[in-house]
Amino acid sequence: MIRNAALFFAVLTLLLFATGCWSRRELNDLAIVTGVAIDKIDNKYRVSVQVVDPGEAAGKKGSSGRSPVTLYDASGDTVFEVIRRMTTVTPRKLYFSHLRMFVLSEDLAREGIGKILDFFSRDHELRTDFYIVVSKGRAAKDIISILTPLEKNPSTKMFTSLEVSEKAWAPTVAIQLDELINDIVSEGKEPVLTGILIKGNPAIGKGKGNLETIDTPTNLQYGGIAVFKKDRMIGWLNEEESKGVSNLTNRLDSTVMEVACGNNGKLAVEVIRSNTKVKGKVKDGQPEIKVTIRTEANIGDVECQIDLMKSKTLYDLEIELEQKMKSDAERALSKAKKLKSDIFGFGEAIHRADPNYWQTVKKDWDKHFPSLPVRIKVDFKIRQLGTTGDSFQNKLKE
Amino acid sequence: MKIKDFRRRFFSTKTSPETVATEGQPLLSSLQENIRKIKSDLGNSSDIIIQEVRIGKKADQALGILYTDGLVDKNVITDYIRASLLLDTRFNEADPSNTDTLDVAQVLQKFVTTIGDAQDIHTFDDLYNGLLSGDAIILFDGSTKAKAVSAQGWQNRGVTEPSAESVVRGPREAFTETLRTNTSLIRRKIKDPNLWMETKQIGRVTKTEVAFMYIKGIVNDKVVEEVRERLDRIDIDGILESGYIEEMIQDDVFTPFPTVYNSERPDVIAAELLEGKVAILVDGTPFVLVVPALFVSFLHAAEDYYHRADISSLIRILRYLGIFIALFGPSLYVAITTFHQEMLPTQLLVSLASQREGVPFPAFFEAIMMEVAFEILREAGLRMPRTIGPAVSIVGTLVIGQAAVEAGIISAAMVIVVSTTAISSFVFPSYSLANSIRILRFPFIILADTFGLFGVIVGTIATLLHLCSLRSFGVPYMSPFAPMILPDQKDAILRLPQWAMFSRPRLISQINVTRKQNVPPRKPEPRQ
Repeated sequence: MIRNAALFFAVLTLLLFATGCWSRRELNDLAIVTGVAIDKIDNKYRVSVQVVDPGEAAGKKGSSGRSPVTLYDASGDTVFEVIRRMTTVTPRKLYFSHLRMFVLSEDLAREGIGKILDFFSRDHELRTDFYIVVSKGRAAKDIISILTPLEKNPSTKMFTSLEVSEKAWAPTVAIQLDELINDIVSEGKEPVLTGILIKGNPAIGKGKGNLETIDTPTNLQYGGIAVFKKDRMIGWLNEEESKGVSNLTNRLDSTVMEVACGNNGKLAVEVIRSNTKVKGKVKDGQPEIKVTIRTEANIGDVECQIDLMKSKTLYDLEIELEQKMKSDAERALSKAKKLKSDIFGFGEAIHRADPNYWQTVKKDWDKHFPSLPVRIKVDFKIRQLGTTGDSFQNKLKE
Repeated sequence: MKIKDFRRRFFSTKTSPETVATEGQPLLSSLQENIRKIKSDLGNSSDIIIQEVRIGKKADQALGILYTDGLVDKNVITDYIRASLLLDTRFNEADPSNTDTLDVAQVLQKFVTTIGDAQDIHTFDDLYNGLLSGDAIILFDGSTKAKAVSAQGWQNRGVTEPSAESVVRGPREAFTETLRTNTSLIRRKIKDPNLWMETKQIGRVTKTEVAFMYIKGIVNDKVVEEVRERLDRIDIDGILESGYIEEMIQDDVFTPFPTVYNSERPDVIAAELLEGKVAILVDGTPFVLVVPALFVSFLHAAEDYYHRADISSLIRILRYLGIFIALFGPSLYVAITTFHQEMLPTQLLVSLASQREGVPFPAFFEAIMMEVAFEILREAGLRMPRTIGPAVSIVGTLVIGQAAVEAGIISAAMVIVVSTTAISSFVFPSYSLANSIRILRFPFIILADTFGLFGVIVGTIATLLHLCSLRSFGVPYMSPFAPMILPDQKDAILRLPQWAMFSRPRLISQINVTRKQNVPPRKPEPRQ
């Protein structure tokens, strides 16, 4: 017994000293990477990383004037090589587990993103919960060089802003790595990514000056959806079309829709719940898609003279909104058909409906897709009027 | 002087010092002889009072009254023993049937026996035993028989409030240092003829009274037998506290966990007796031992049973959370911040990293340093004279809490972790379990630093295996969890209402398991 106890303590002490620094890293040995941007320049990858300066990003004491994040970049033939090459510049080893934003340049996206994604899905250090976006018309490096107000860390700003806008604003989609890779390899569905752009002057945005005024001169903004075919980007969707994508892929949680009403006034409703069902069918060797969208909304903003107390008014509004939603969806559909990219996953629906038929068309689905008949049915319900009934504007005598 | 010579002179093994070795030697018949022997045996100790009295019609009967000053109640000696001896003999004179000579045997039988608790003694062994534990000894000239009269009356600390286990609601009395007071406190709670007690003298020199109590018919007789046997096996110079007994009778020596329960509260001991356990009371200490002890009882406080079941259950869950934090707090912090940074939310990681900027030591060293500093403060707080307490605590908080962080030697997060751990380790109702957790915390920090969470998990599994292998007087230590006993879950992590606790713990009292009929309280009928 005494022997065992002595042995136990001997082993414990040995563990402490013999194993030493086995794969352990102190927090202050890490360069926490929160943003990565990849460009392709002269056939080489230029990887830029945004590293947090913890003292500055979280320090409670007055700022010392340093930027809360630092940018390092390097170029090379493979992503992994570039990242390791960066240790020649970075003071600490780069740590990728807390990657929040992954920005791809539009040029790179158009050439194909498959090759660079492998490292990020293979490396054990990375979690796959970061968002991937495409920088619209600019180098990806520029995007992660912009300082943002409110959120000290620009990547956190991009991350939370995408997360929030996906929930409350239809025309953005938040895509994470595993979903993107799934969409790339899937035969009946093509990937989409949200675009990001710089609003204002990038040169000002890179400096502290960007944070010193109330009206931030340069800001990062999401806009448009990039349509891919396999791993190559082939085009952009505008805002209405982007809304249609959300409607058709059951991504819509909450958004705002507006319709004309009265004499050149407008009325906006807040979508509170929406559910999209896609059903495939093969009839006489002809594929067919039926989409049912069930949406519930509240009246959010009335800027016209309208009598909301009449049920007929609401009924007419519902029909109008149904039309509007349908036209958004159809616009997105026709754009996708034009680009020959099945971003809605209709191919998968056909596959589920008739696997045998799918075997015959899956090889050239992009040829079948443009002529695929899609029936869209929208069921729109207005639930509540908000805290007032009829608008007080009706009482204004003009 | 050479060390060798010194040793020879003072620690000579050849001539052993003379000690009192009476070994059942019978009393002598001559009073003077007896007194001479007693005086020489006790080294003329000044607190041994020897009074010679002559009684009888002709004052021809010599008596010796012996007692230890300070251990006896002097009123008993003067008012009862001396007065009655003299009175009785005078009364004897008036007796017409009386002859000239006083019959010693008659006096012994008829009169002196009326003085309280008196016992016949025949040997010097018994004489010293009685004399030194507070009896008055009456020696008779010409008789080899003596009387030991109970006259104990020494300075007592009264029954006070418990200091180690305080309650908001519940009885406010604690055991004292006197065995008799303690047994009476238990008797006052359990007035049942089945509450049995056995007493032993343990300790070759101290001859400490050790009593064990149990409720016949509820207790498992094998456990009583085992307690008796283990107590008999103890051969030790002295017993000064129940801790001596605990260490001599526990099942497993090499374990950080206590396998004997102790309490200074009579209500707790009474409750344990009612569950079928055996209480061991030791003279000279307010801490009473209870066997068999289960792991769960160290997390149960007396108050759990005095408050309503809902809040008691919640507080128990809180205590289990406390044990988790106290055991794993620093090790989880070390493991996660040095191995598994990806587990933390980004904001938290950045915040922790910013605190660690400029801290020169690895997290492991920081944790050990803080834990050791805390343990030193705690020990200092216990040992130092009470009057300088505030000074030490101010220095402690300032140095550890503030200055170390501001100087950048320790990160603020580590101070938070260590102090949370420290506070959590005070939620245990039992100090002995808190000590086990204190010991285990350090190996866990080492494991966390070597293997990260993997090490912590391995350590946890090893600890659990060890816990499950422990037994206390034959009862599995981890019951009712391992083995799983469903009916006993009523009083383990949760504390069900009293009306639902209708059986005693299965493994402790295998006979007479039913506590009461299971009758939930009924609402009174509405009045007409």
